Amino acid sequence: MARITCAALTKSYGAVLAVDALELSIGHGEFMVLLGPSGCGKTTTLNMIAGLEEISAGRLLFDETEVTWTPPHKREVAMVFQSYALYPNKTVRENIAFPLRLRGQSASEIERAVGAAAEQLEITHLLGRRPNELSGGQRQRVALGRAIVRKPSVFLMDEPLSNLDATLRLSMRGLIKRLHQELKATFVYVTHDQAEAMTLADRIAVMKGGLIQQLDTPEGIYERPANIFVAGFLGSPPINLVEGVIAGGAFTRGDFRLALTNPPQEGRAVVLGLRPEDVSAGGDVTARVELVSPLGSETHLDVLAEGGVALTLRVPKEWRAAPGDRLSFGIDPARLHIFDKASETRL
Amino acid sequence: MKKPLAPRVTRAILLTLFSALFVLYVAGPVAWLVSSSLQSEAEITRVPPNWLPQNPSIANFEAIFSAADRVVTYENRRQGEALTSSFLPSGAANLLPAMRNSLVIGLWVAALNLLLSVTAAYAIAVIDFRGRRATLYTVLATRVVPDIALVVPLFLVIRNLGLINSLGALVVTYLAITVPFTIFILISYFEGIPRDLYRAARIDGCGHGRALWHVYLPLSLPALVASLTFAFLTSWNEFVFALVLTQNVAAQTLPIIISGFIMDFTTSFSFVNAAGVIAIIPPVLMAVVFQRYIVSGLTAGAVKG
Repeated sequence: MARITCAALTKSYGAVLAVDALELSIGHGEFMVLLGPSGCGKTTTLNMIAGLEEISAGRLLFDETEVTWTPPHKREVAMVFQSYALYPNKTVRENIAFPLRLRGQSASEIERAVGAAAEQLEITHLLGRRPNELSGGQRQRVALGRAIVRKPSVFLMDEPLSNLDATLRLSMRGLIKRLHQELKATFVYVTHDQAEAMTLADRIAVMKGGLIQQLDTPEGIYERPANIFVAGFLGSPPINLVEGVIAGGAFTRGDFRLALTNPPQEGRAVVLGLRPEDVSAGGDVTARVELVSPLGSETHLDVLAEGGVALTLRVPKEWRAAPGDRLSFGIDPARLHIFDKASETRL
Repeated sequence: MKKPLAPRVTRAILLTLFSALFVLYVAGPVAWLVSSSLQSEAEITRVPPNWLPQNPSIANFEAIFSAADRVVTYENRRQGEALTSSFLPSGAANLLPAMRNSLVIGLWVAALNLLLSVTAAYAIAVIDFRGRRATLYTVLATRVVPDIALVVPLFLVIRNLGLINSLGALVVTYLAITVPFTIFILISYFEGIPRDLYRAARIDGCGHGRALWHVYLPLSLPALVASLTFAFLTSWNEFVFALVLTQNVAAQTLPIIISGFIMDFTTSFSFVNAAGVIAIIPPVLMAVVFQRYIVSGLTAGAVKG
């Protein structure tokens, strides 16, 4: 285990600022997920922690030791790549054994460690094969094996599940979570998949434009998004965002009014955020059903409320509705998110 | 639906015809070289020529290997008679030593070329350092200058180094010619190796030397073999620099000695051709040995494709 401290960590490519004075502290044995869209700086941050990208400014510490200029092979980190990055000329056994061989461990130690890792990942029967004889899921298990065999204090994972199909991704996600629990190491995991982030993370750092937009637990990020970007990035279907103004202690957009428990100042231009599932049956909001998308376990409804406000609702499958129906539902004011329109931050 | 028969037959005939023409074009001179080396001078110069030897003889080859034991003087040279192939050029005894010189130079050039090119190409292709592009362009720029323009400057450099008439002179010169090109070949190849493999190697504990040794070299076997072959063949065949930088048999190479046979009082084509056959044996052997390494797809399965 190790604590990772990024102090004003910066990476620039000429005039382009990829990571902008990032402040982040990752605790011993914590599972930190860096979440964000392409180009947000999450992989660059991971690469700087790994030592694969030179740090333009700032400091990086593992526990109390500064590793800003330490080359990657001396940082004692393991990394799993989206592309697996297995050595094609080596067998699975040789791939997993490679980091140990480089450390000069004895053949018997290596054999024992490789056997244990293979058993843990259920790939013992694949040890004699080469990477091109494996499926995607098997290759990613081998890549995990190569990482865990060293027993490093820090695991870095760069979108390790992105190339797998949905079913495999689900089972591998479980495997990674189990590994984290067993190894008790510090994990830094990069993804653009919110479901992966929510299910795996102890804390999530949502990034955009080289900056952390919000750093919090998955629940905190979902329940109290710091700004419109974070609110919109998490949740499926995405949060409903409606522009309007505060009038008479309520959110107002034309004829659409929602009373607020703690309204901002009168006349302020705001953006209302409503999670699709934060509605209840039989309330005072009425809307016309435009589209019904049954998913089996639940139903998604696209509705048009007063004032031309379009909303997507995630409702229990028992709610029966057809396009054209009038629907009444309730919205708990405590579940609403209000953002300032100009600064896009939470009010 | 199956394709109609006529176009398929026409296509097959055309393919066979052009393939045969191509083989004839490429292999014809070599075949004639081998065939004529087994014929007497009289047979070679006959019109029309014998494409295949009527009375195959290895007399020309025997002459090459026994030349060192025979003293060729003005008198005994005239005892021989060119038309019956008993004629022996005056420098015949130099052929085998020259071959040894060529081989030594070729092997040194191939080995040193690989050592220099691999490390330089790795640095340029993989390590992100200031001046990386400028280095690459400088290396490539050296190949823009035609070799012939370098003859005099190189001669002066080699003479001032006191290396004239030494194998070292040719090794250094041939490295100057071949290294930039092999760097270029290897850079392209190294850049084609997935970057994540380099990253994985670095994380697994490799410094640059180990990453090169454990990852880049095993995956670049085809390019390494191509570079090795190129460097060896270039030095094996090179003529102009060898002619200028070596002036006696201690350092002269095969092309110089063989060309000397033609400039003799009389030319023995059969002997020259036999020497030619001997001269092509090492490169052919090299091609046969290494061709199985020149395969693609070595990185299959490395990363998600």
